[in-house]
Amino acid sequence: MIEEPYRWVEAIQNRREYIDHQLAAGSAIIALSCREGVLILTLGRDRQKLFEIYDRIAMGGIGHPGDIERLRMMALEVTSTEGFTRSPQDVSLRRLVSYSLSPALKTAFEQVYGPPYLVRLLFAEVGRGGEADLLVALNHDGSFETNGGTFSREVEPFAVISGSAAVTRQMEAYLRERSPSASAELDAARELALETWLAGNLALGEESPTPENIRQRREEVLRHSTVEAALLERNPRVAAAAYRVLPG
Amino acid sequence: MPSPDFPSLAPPQPAAAGDFLALLARQALAGHPVPEVHGPLPPQTEATTILAFKFKGGILVAGDRRATAGNVVVYDRADKVLEIDRHSLMAIAGVPATAWEMARTLGHSFQFYRRSQLQEMSLEGKVRALSRLLRENVGLVMQGIGVVVPIFATFDLQANLPRLYFYDAMGAEFEATDFAASGSGSPAVRAILYYANTYGPRPLARLNEEDALLVALRALDTAAENDTATGSVDRHGRVYPVIKIVNATGIVTLPDRLLAKAYQRNLASLPKHTPKFADLE
Repeated sequence: MIEEPYRWVEAIQNRREYIDHQLAAGSAIIALSCREGVLILTLGRDRQKLFEIYDRIAMGGIGHPGDIERLRMMALEVTSTEGFTRSPQDVSLRRLVSYSLSPALKTAFEQVYGPPYLVRLLFAEVGRGGEADLLVALNHDGSFETNGGTFSREVEPFAVISGSAAVTRQMEAYLRERSPSASAELDAARELALETWLAGNLALGEESPTPENIRQRREEVLRHSTVEAALLERNPRVAAAAYRVLPG
Repeated sequence: MPSPDFPSLAPPQPAAAGDFLALLARQALAGHPVPEVHGPLPPQTEATTILAFKFKGGILVAGDRRATAGNVVVYDRADKVLEIDRHSLMAIAGVPATAWEMARTLGHSFQFYRRSQLQEMSLEGKVRALSRLLRENVGLVMQGIGVVVPIFATFDLQANLPRLYFYDAMGAEFEATDFAASGSGSPAVRAILYYANTYGPRPLARLNEEDALLVALRALDTAAENDTATGSVDRHGRVYPVIKIVNATGIVTLPDRLLAKAYQRNLASLPKHTPKFADLE
């Protein structure tokens, strides 16, 4: 395969399609900045999908639970070792994603004889001392998108991952129309995040997110699923205890 | 930030799951070679006099602020009462170089366990974790350096009870029913706490916060009177002992202005019984 570059490109393409197909059923995860901190929200039936990584960092993942777990452990090990050998102040999401996770994912994705990671991850880091929050959507091939704040893009106070790129775009558009503010209250942010999730769920069936449709879908969905939400507090009393699971 | 290769992504062995020390060892970041010591030891920096007792509002843990080496005062603002997690305090007596590192390691171990295993470490697990760190330090202790004798105070959320432990330098853990003290000023402190608990107006466990604070301040004052290695209150430099309280709601550090007020009202302004030689005649 190495001596036949076209077959390698083809193999990569097949692999991308295979992974996208595997991830398609994933329940969307939304991160939204608010006055109290960063809210992360998703809906699910059984397994936990939101996790604490470090003092100011949280993660949500869709995909294979085994793969999510391996990457979660990697993120935990990298941040914990860094926080111990240097200082918790030195741990940053930007470095975690761009120096550790992204290269590892890219390597696994392109080694066509080995198994890829069937994951899509959303990371959130609550800003320190008035800085904007950093939100990162990390894909199975190691590519990632942030909520801006670099070069020419303005910071957006939200980020979304879902089973398909098209749905993700529609959810982002839904949020953008409502121009959420990073200083909104937690309850309002929670409501908006839930509505966005429902809008994404409607988009799967190519239905439009009218208030009536959302209300109806909400009733249907909450009959068999529960809300999983967590908050990274902006001003925690104890630095290491910023992550708080919110009641469903 | 290290960028681990794939082999390290293999799931950890069950025994090492959530074990922060094992992670450090795997990344070659743990363990210090024990140096061979020949001849007389250089004077070591040491921290002294910590105490803890149960009262109505949880466990009060207090420490003076002095660090000494031989008869030299190295530091007069040392913090010997350290927060390990939301409901655990560790107070240290002994060599700060080792003790502060132990506290840091312990804090990270509990955090790493909680985050990776998605559950809080059990009380017994936490108590043993400190014991293990002390045992790993025995090599240094045998060389005559790096002795640490800590107190561990925590609130057991499952049993809804405050629990207090003290250790010896080898890592043996002892649970204290009422109070514990450690460090060079501890003989005086232990005597005072025993006296207050047994013959005081009421047992320590039934004191309110104000009275508990008073007992702690007076015990430390007495220790400083008897032991040169224990620092007393420096009102000019506004250096007061570190006093923290742990209970079901978490940890509270008593602010300096509260300590200053209590000190002024109950220690500094009281007429001390100072016998004059004339009285003895």
